[in-house]
Amino acid sequence: DRERCRPHRAMHGPNAGSGPRGLRFLGQEEAQAIDQELFIEYKFSVDQLMELAGLSCATAIAKAYPPSSFTTSQPAVLVVCGPGNNGGDGLVCARHLKMFGYQPTVYYPKRPNKPLFEGLTTQCQKMDIPFLPEFPAEAALIDELYGLVVDAIFGFSFKGAVREPFGSILSTLERITVPIASIDIPSGWDVEKGKADGLQPDMLISLTAPKKAAMHFAGRYHFLGGRFVPAALQEKYTLNLPPYPETDCVLQLT
Amino acid sequence: PVSSRQAFPLPSLPRKQPTVLVVCGPAQNGAIGLVCARHLRIFDYEPTIFYPKRSPDPLYRDFTTQCEKMDIPFLSYLPTEVQLINDAYNAVVDAVLGAEAEAGEGREPCAAILATLKHVRIPIVSLDVPSGWDVEAGSSGGISPDVLVSLSAPKQCARRFLGRQHFVAGRFLPYDVQKKFELNPPKYPGTECVVAL
Repeated sequence: DRERCRPHRAMHGPNAGSGPRGLRFLGQEEAQAIDQELFIEYKFSVDQLMELAGLSCATAIAKAYPPSSFTTSQPAVLVVCGPGNNGGDGLVCARHLKMFGYQPTVYYPKRPNKPLFEGLTTQCQKMDIPFLPEFPAEAALIDELYGLVVDAIFGFSFKGAVREPFGSILSTLERITVPIASIDIPSGWDVEKGKADGLQPDMLISLTAPKKAAMHFAGRYHFLGGRFVPAALQEKYTLNLPPYPETDCVLQLT
Repeated sequence: PVSSRQAFPLPSLPRKQPTVLVVCGPAQNGAIGLVCARHLRIFDYEPTIFYPKRSPDPLYRDFTTQCEKMDIPFLSYLPTEVQLINDAYNAVVDAVLGAEAEAGEGREPCAAILATLKHVRIPIVSLDVPSGWDVEAGSSGGISPDVLVSLSAPKQCARRFLGRQHFVAGRFLPYDVQKKFELNPPKYPGTECVVAL
């Protein structure tokens, strides 16, 4: 396990058309099509897949940043949740991080009025996970209080301009020195082209399959999570996913 | 549900194909069996499901669809000749009856299924409660599972469990629930969601 967490140079550069053993990087529309097929054809519920996705994220984080590796006195993690499903993944992740011995704190400024998200919020609150009333004003404050930030702001459906308060949040996150773990897509990045002057996360957890943006990822850890894609769907979209180890719900790609 | 799959021993199976029979009852325990079967498939096992009395619950019907779409076969009947089961599968997952079962409720075709399972020679993995056992008192002459996966916390009848491995899958119970019911759960290793007792 120690060996797998040793820093590697990112294997995917901007010119890579595919990763190890032909692993495919998906465009935005393809990613959306696969998602739709899981819900409509396979009748998975959003709850089911979100739970598995969030668990994958927490598990990947635990492998790369074990609690003992934190220099803060407690393994404090800030989880920043956006207004959609990526934010929901973040809430699930926060809950599992708590179970794994971390001390997560959530910032969740825009909460959808849907039972799914209300339920996830309640689960976190009932587990004594604090929800910040305000985003830390300065990058230096985040560096002081937390050993890791989970970016659960925007996911693979993201398009267009970043609406407040997330623009300011991302500007602050771009200046922190503690590592950032992004769920599925580094927030603010174009889902296919990336963003050269945007967030530079240390870890990326690609869900289901990596998106094209991941080819521009230059951080230390790239994990695959969301181990729920049926074999037939993998074949239909020629995902060429490498095999997951044993019963693990994550696979370290780099 | 996510946790039940981890109790299964990894490929050290006697049969050439990693076949597993998952027997699902009509209620929640059966639904957990469906989820378990799906994860077994993801783990490259070859599950087959026997689910004679299907729940009308929409969530459980979706679990069934997910299994069907993943090409997990559903048997139309359970062979009464146990040797056929012994020959075809490496293990049986008993997801027939759980702690919620009440005497006399939905007992057929469960009683017939349990009568057959009592005689299989391949290992049985029971989910939560060995089916047919009294949740507290245990069993006299019922099925004898090789592995028990207690869900949330062990039930009293687990004290009478004599099989090889007892796992508990209850990592995700909130702390206040654990305290309220004085569960005193064991420590889970790493990020594992099951722990062997």
